[in-house]
Amino acid sequence: MLEIKNLHVKLADEDRVILKGLSLKVPKGEVHAIMGPNGSGKSTLAYVLAGRDGYEVTEGDIHWNGESILEMPPDERAAKGVFLAFQYPMEIPGVAGLTFLRTATNALRKKRGEPELTTPAFMKLVKEKGDKLNIDIEMLKRPVNVGFSGGEKKRSEILQMALLEPTLCVLDETDSGLDIDALRIVSDGVNALRSKDRAFLVITHYQRLLNHIVPDKVHVLADGKIQKSGGKELALELEKAGYAGFTGKAA
Amino acid sequence: MNVAVMKTKSEQTLSLQAAERIPTLPGDKDVRRAREAALAVFEAAGLPHRRIEEWKYTDLRALLKDAASVTPQRSSDVDSKLFDLTGTKAATYVFVDGRLITKPKDHTIAGVTVASFSDEVSKNPALLAIELPETVDAGARSVIALNSALASDGAVITIAAGAAPERPIHLVFIASGAVAVRNVIVAGADSESTVVETHVSPTGAARQENAVSDVTLARGATLHHVVRTEAHEGSAALAQYLVRVCAGAHYKPFQLTSGGGLSRQQLTLTFAEQHASLDFSAVALARGAGHVDTTLVVDHAVPHCTSRELFKTVLDDRARGIFQGKVIVAPNAQKTDGKQMAQALMLSPDAEFDSKPELEIYADDVVCGHGTTSAELDPDLLFYCESRGIPEVEARALLIESFVGEAVEKIENEALRDALMSYATAWLRSAA
Repeated sequence: MLEIKNLHVKLADEDRVILKGLSLKVPKGEVHAIMGPNGSGKSTLAYVLAGRDGYEVTEGDIHWNGESILEMPPDERAAKGVFLAFQYPMEIPGVAGLTFLRTATNALRKKRGEPELTTPAFMKLVKEKGDKLNIDIEMLKRPVNVGFSGGEKKRSEILQMALLEPTLCVLDETDSGLDIDALRIVSDGVNALRSKDRAFLVITHYQRLLNHIVPDKVHVLADGKIQKSGGKELALELEKAGYAGFTGKAA
Repeated sequence: MNVAVMKTKSEQTLSLQAAERIPTLPGDKDVRRAREAALAVFEAAGLPHRRIEEWKYTDLRALLKDAASVTPQRSSDVDSKLFDLTGTKAATYVFVDGRLITKPKDHTIAGVTVASFSDEVSKNPALLAIELPETVDAGARSVIALNSALASDGAVITIAAGAAPERPIHLVFIASGAVAVRNVIVAGADSESTVVETHVSPTGAARQENAVSDVTLARGATLHHVVRTEAHEGSAALAQYLVRVCAGAHYKPFQLTSGGGLSRQQLTLTFAEQHASLDFSAVALARGAGHVDTTLVVDHAVPHCTSRELFKTVLDDRARGIFQGKVIVAPNAQKTDGKQMAQALMLSPDAEFDSKPELEIYADDVVCGHGTTSAELDPDLLFYCESRGIPEVEARALLIESFVGEAVEKIENEALRDALMSYATAWLRSAA
């Protein structure tokens, strides 16, 4: 279970406070959506979960499977099962997609005490997972995400997720920049990973994605705190009424 | 104001050493006379210094405080790990302290002759003289003159017209002290060949190498010229490549230079005839107090020639990287196509990168461009890698290697490319 307790976060270099006492529980096997207006702290939450530099936790804690992850560097968190699908996946010129995937897969296997995959076994796995996401091996011979369309980048994120087999999947605005077809492919990819051992935190601005990835719970994040929690119908209400009720102004 | 410059300690030592050595070096009395004349040229000019624009960042008067002593030739007991190119099937010639000591057992390659410079200059005194184009600066002229005075050996390689030997020819230069070597490479018409040079020294040796390669590409020739130079702390490697490219020929050099010592790789290329090309890529790696200088002068003297340059420099600690790239396009050299990119990755706030691209364009119908960047490793990219479970140390290595890899990728021979990438990777991953 993911347990976020009274989390306060400010930017490391500025005085700006972004999260102001956020508390949240996501049990394994569930998909929770976080919705909120721009600037409410959604992406900050995603980055703080993954361990990005530049944020300072001033109060509160984050526990994953009963253990605080706040002091762990990003790669340790990944070894514990944390995965962030980026809103804007990075391009890495000069590193072939396959090299990157194999390095990451084997680094995690090593840390988790599993044997490294041989090249043929790895290639078979990539092909199998890639086929489902409409990702051709040729695309992975190119440098990571370089020259990829928005949709290709998001599919490549989901492929990484499928290969690295995380247990806590945080999806940051995975629907942004996707057309209807790409949205379906990405959602199918995510849904295929849903299991009783995995928790999902799906961060989105729009309800649209939640038609495809149906959440067990929806939380409204505004002004650095969870303002309201409810079932999937809460997303539909928000779509109609907007976030105005939570921020005091039209979003 | 014209003031006679005081000779530095190392200049004085170099003069004394040279006067003593010249009578012992290969060649008849004509060669000896030519060597003495060359020494006089060096003595008049001295070591290149910062008041010569092209040596502003690499002031040898200041950097070479002591001239290394001349090491008597060592035994043939050399560590082949220093120059191994496993998998390339290269025909390897090993020069130790300026003398050829081993030839490959199976040294006959169809269409290729490799002779020693010491043998050849004894037969043909004219071999010592190099015709220098106007584009060679005064400092380089002085260094080359010193090389002419002292060159003890090297390789004279002739690729026959139309020959396309598959095996690379590998020249290895290992030195422990002061040494001057001279190579002459002539790629015959329509030939295609690969020449590899490895310049190394045993760890801790105060080697000072002055190497000159005189390269000619006849019409339609393609020459892949791969050079790996190590200049570890306390050692220096100076190299001058003088290249003349005839019609439709393609010169494809790659240089990997690494170390915590001093190096200057200077290439002066002249497009003598039309429709020729240069495709140059280089990697320079330095840490500690390393000083790596890559200097290039390309003279587009005729129309319809293409030049491409990609330089990658990685600097750590207090290391200093220098890139100077001058491209001259003569008034009649229309349809010249020249592009240059120099990029540096700074791993330490104390490192310094000086980049000086220069375009001198006198023609009006040309496409020329250059770019230069210097940056730290991108923290966002590091985070992205780490968030996928790759530990920071490995993530940094992956990103640095990918930066360097873009230049190494240009080596067309796969086995050679892998070998050079292995050397770069090993150096990057070795402890500082």
